[in-house]
Amino acid sequence: MISALNNALDDIFGAMRLRRVWIALAHEDIGDQHRRTTLGPLWLLVNYLAFVGTFVFVFQPAGKDAAGYSAYVAIGLMVWFYLMEVISLSVSLFKREESFIEGTTLPLFVYVMRLTVQSAIRAGYAIAGCIVILLLSGSELTMAWLWSLVGLLLILLATPALITVFAFTGAFFPDSEFIVGNLMRVGMFFTPVFWVYNGKDAIQRYAYQWNPFAYFLDVARIPILSGQFPGNAFAVTGTVALVMWATALLLLGRYRRQIVFLI
Amino acid sequence: MVSIKLDNVSLIYKLHEKLTLSAPDRRLGPTGGKIEGAGRKQFVQALDSVGFELKAGERLGLVGPNGAGKTTLLKVLYGIYEPSGGSVAIEGKVDALFNINIGFRREATGRRNIVLRGLINGWSEAEIEEKMEDIIAFSELGDFIDLPFKAYSQGMAARLAFSVATALDPEILLMDEWIGAGDASFQEKAKRRMDELAEKAGIIVLASHSESLIQSVCTKRLTLKGGRVESLTAVPVKPAEAASASP
Ligand SMILES: Nc1ncnc2c1ncn2[C@@H]1O[C@H](COP(=O)(O)OP(=O)(O)O)[C@@H](O)[C@H]1O
Ligand SMILES: [Mg+2]
Repeated sequence: MISALNNALDDIFGAMRLRRVWIALAHEDIGDQHRRTTLGPLWLLVNYLAFVGTFVFVFQPAGKDAAGYSAYVAIGLMVWFYLMEVISLSVSLFKREESFIEGTTLPLFVYVMRLTVQSAIRAGYAIAGCIVILLLSGSELTMAWLWSLVGLLLILLATPALITVFAFTGAFFPDSEFIVGNLMRVGMFFTPVFWVYNGKDAIQRYAYQWNPFAYFLDVARIPILSGQFPGNAFAVTGTVALVMWATALLLLGRYRRQIVFLI
Repeated sequence: MVSIKLDNVSLIYKLHEKLTLSAPDRRLGPTGGKIEGAGRKQFVQALDSVGFELKAGERLGLVGPNGAGKTTLLKVLYGIYEPSGGSVAIEGKVDALFNINIGFRREATGRRNIVLRGLINGWSEAEIEEKMEDIIAFSELGDFIDLPFKAYSQGMAARLAFSVATALDPEILLMDEWIGAGDASFQEKAKRRMDELAEKAGIIVLASHSESLIQSVCTKRLTLKGGRVESLTAVPVKPAEAASASP
């Protein structure tokens, strides 16, 4: 146990010393995906706005809730897309990095941080779009927004752990790439991303109470929408993050030298 | 002091370690290491009680048929694989060239790739900056250095890879078979640089099927077969080489 922890920390500190590597590679990744396109990474913003626009157009309730719903969907989709992208890309992470893993001695956490930075950059475009929608829909900038910011930071802190856990899962169990991919696609309907929990429907209640993603959305959404501090959501999200970090350290410590034989 | 010491090293590739829903499928040719075990417990014994010692200034040539374990041995030396048994003791800063394309990004220019490769090798920005012109000059890529890597031929890629890997004077340099990709004039240049490196009391381990390359670069020859050391001999210095080396 102690040696696994030491081993994991070795890997993580090694990666932190090489931070310029993963920052540079993450920028290359974003650049590569948008090379030769006219809008470049602005496509990320366009995609996000198109999605929010579609949902608002199709599902917006009539009457005075309309503006509130735009804000609800804007924040919901921003967090959901981030989580979906992080998790879907994590399961195939080590497979995609095969040539580096088999040819260099970079710590595995370098690849984890590379994906973290890459996802955070993409999320930055969605956040910009989200703020614009919030202001357009009449939400007032209040101190409560700071709690949402803390919520987003909490999600960001949990990200490397999530990536590590799913990356190891994908390496040990290749089928998980497809299982997780499908679950995440379906998950959007079982998570209050674009529907609002009304407190009555039984299926909705399960999807709301037993779905950790619902709490990830709430820490970013509730403060801005209602001006309140969602203690419960923060507690659940924080616990999930801690459990993920503990699992990530254990996996990294125990199995990091085995990954090269598995991919 | 730069040195390498391997004692009784073995390495096993387990073949069905992954959990999978599909039927097992692994293609393995008849050449190569020993396939042992059966069903889900199949494994390849790629290295079997390999032991040798290298001192500063020695240059080892790894020879042996395909699948003999040369690449595997180099990866154990570099630290990519943890041996399944035995011990590896290495003193010195190790750099390795396995596959020309590893660590190069196809879309980025040669110049940007030098920066990335340098960062991966743990160099500081200042060190990269300082070495940049040397690396470009040695690679003789000229204006191609500002074109994307994907526009390079295999030989050009090999020049760039070799130039970067040897730029910061690694104490131990490991090279897999690829070096043959460069043309004759580059091979000559590469050989001179390897000589310089060895003179600075570095160690080189080179896997190659080219007898002439081994003869001209190496001082020792290790023959692997089926993962075992078949022989470890000194490479005789050719009379012509000896004469030209000490005029
Ligand atoms: N990733 C791998 N998984 C399973 N077996 C492998 C793997 N890599 C190499 N081997 C096996 O190990 C043996 C040695 O391979 P290698 O070191 O690549 O030989 P060489 O470089 O001398 O041609 C071969 O039998 C090969 O089939
Ligand atoms: Mg080989």
